[in-house]
Amino acid sequence: MIPFQIEKIYLDEKAAGDWVAQAVLKSLPHVPVEEVRDKKPLIKALLSKEDPIGLGKRNLFITRFYGKRLKPCPGTSNHICCGYHVINALTNCPMDCSYCVLQGYLNNPFLTLYSNWDELLLEIETFLSQNHSFLPRLGTGELSDSLALDSIFPLSQTLVSFFAERQKGILELKTKSGRVDHLLDLDHRGRTVVSWSVNPPQMIEEEERRTAPLAGRLEAARQCLERGYPVGIHFDPLIHHEGWEKGYREVTQQLLDRIDTKRIAWMSLGGFRYPPQLKGIAGERFPQARIFLGELFPGRDGKFRYLKEVRIEMYRKMVEWLRQGDPDLFIYLCMESQEVWEKVFGWAPKNSSHLNHLFEERLKKFMNGD
Amino acid sequence: MTLIQNIPLDQIDFSDGTFSINFMPDLERLRSSIQEMGVIQPVLLREKPKGYQIISGFRRIGVVQGLGHTGIVSRVIHEETEDLKLFFISLHDNLTSRGFNTVEKAIALEKLVDHFKVNPVVVTREMLPLFDLERNEKILNTFLSLARMEEEVKRYVLEEAVSRSNIRKLARLSVEDRNAAITLLTALKLGENSLREILTLLEEITKRDRCSVRKVIDLNEIQSLITHPELTSTQKTERVKRVLMDLRYPRMSHLEEQFEKKRRGLSLPPTISLHHPPFFEGRGLRIAFQFESVAEYRSILSSLSALAEREEFEEMIRGGEQAPNPKHPTTNRFK
Repeated sequence: MIPFQIEKIYLDEKAAGDWVAQAVLKSLPHVPVEEVRDKKPLIKALLSKEDPIGLGKRNLFITRFYGKRLKPCPGTSNHICCGYHVINALTNCPMDCSYCVLQGYLNNPFLTLYSNWDELLLEIETFLSQNHSFLPRLGTGELSDSLALDSIFPLSQTLVSFFAERQKGILELKTKSGRVDHLLDLDHRGRTVVSWSVNPPQMIEEEERRTAPLAGRLEAARQCLERGYPVGIHFDPLIHHEGWEKGYREVTQQLLDRIDTKRIAWMSLGGFRYPPQLKGIAGERFPQARIFLGELFPGRDGKFRYLKEVRIEMYRKMVEWLRQGDPDLFIYLCMESQEVWEKVFGWAPKNSSHLNHLFEERLKKFMNGD
Repeated sequence: MTLIQNIPLDQIDFSDGTFSINFMPDLERLRSSIQEMGVIQPVLLREKPKGYQIISGFRRIGVVQGLGHTGIVSRVIHEETEDLKLFFISLHDNLTSRGFNTVEKAIALEKLVDHFKVNPVVVTREMLPLFDLERNEKILNTFLSLARMEEEVKRYVLEEAVSRSNIRKLARLSVEDRNAAITLLTALKLGENSLREILTLLEEITKRDRCSVRKVIDLNEIQSLITHPELTSTQKTERVKRVLMDLRYPRMSHLEEQFEKKRRGLSLPPTISLHHPPFFEGRGLRIAFQFESVAEYRSILSSLSALAEREEFEEMIRGGEQAPNPKHPTTNRFK
């Protein structure tokens, strides 16, 4: 279980009868519940607090979502992206990473679970049954941590089973959690990739509050691998800090020592980047954070990134260390330009579709047991 | 029940500032008005065993004392009235007559929370609107932090009409750092954006290099700018910002320097300008040129054509990859 506590549940009266809401209330019998007719005054009251984001993480809002909940990941302009699709089942996250972009994006700071679950599954079903020219990859880890609320509501378990029964589509669960017991006995049929964001222990301690330590994440990855899950690893954000080489060298070594790299479906490298509005918000919430102290400048998509030469240096070193362990690792860069790809790998995908195609080829190998 | 009477000034306790929220009051207009018309609105006093406590009217009392009067028309409260209620009377009296400046709002809010022990939630919900402020905890905390700052900082905030977001930045500094920062800020001519930039740069440099603001300000480059007899405040501001930017972004500063050196080495005519991609992101270069005649245009084309034969120009286009520079200026000059 993630070490967090729900202090109160706000229940949209329209969602009160939904089985999802009932299941959550049953799993949190001692948490006070308040029924809500109109969420606007509730959100307004929260936004008037000193730290609405922090407070929102401790208060669960159960409501229905009206609209499409499956969308292509917006990615970023002028860069190569991987063609992922985002499932919006849960918004906001009980973990508290200083660099989390959700701090700057969400109008509603509450931890929000959408209870019209059957509609979501129908939407996913409809999407998967369309005649796509690509193998769809969908995930729940963009707007929250994929495993964060599983102890309260079996979100991941339900999705794993759902994807296992379908011919097309791959589910990615992206997490910083160390608890995966609830996934180990599921018949996933190789349709779910469980992936972890990793960083040196010093960075985890300083910038990733309420997340599992590195050792816990790697152990969880190992457990998933033992049960046949393909696993993903995301070095994202890669943080340029004093001692970064030593820190990341040690992380890659621990990874290579503990994980069978043949079962790593993919590995991403993404230099720390953030939208302009995030720094002010995070600066006030985490005055001791050091992550924004690097030399970061606006890129062609408006996001702030390290100097290109710094990123290239970091990526090259990472690729070198990782490939020393396994030259066949599928490593890609997240939200990077063609130029950076070329300088790191000596080649670049022609565009985002090309990268998506490469993912597909990789996944087919996994699914065929290659 | 209050009575209106003329109270001798020597019976009023000037040392009791329980209900005072004045900060840098502008007394000139009040003085002129009292000189001409006398005190129109009685001050409010509470009778105590030894003399009178001022509830409202500190400024009026100060002015009449300065004018040599011996007494002042006052409304006197005799019965026991709760302090908080009296404070509200004082607030309303001032709000309706002269309003409060930013620091006075801060002082008033701090008195409500710290002296009169009103719950901050209640202050946020019920009292912030009295000061034309939104019902927001962050706003209350901003004003509370301002009230607790040093006098010089408060003066600066008031005189320069510092915004709330910059007040919060000042609040994040330690007392020593804040006092050091003020010596720099008062020497410069800063608008809101420049102030924010400089505070941000100081905060980030000192945090990154684990040093004090004083250490940064005492650098020779900054001191020589602040004390330069021929630079205007605006010029000082721009140059100090440049120094701070170079401290904050040494790697970028080095890249800019190298680019500038190569650009100068090309000896381009003044009508041609050469630019790297913004923040060195992306490939290639950009050239801009201007001309006023066909002859000038031909001359520029000739220069551009000659440029194409220069090896160093080709290298600049390729982006001459930089290995990490072992002699790169260290980011920490304060170790």
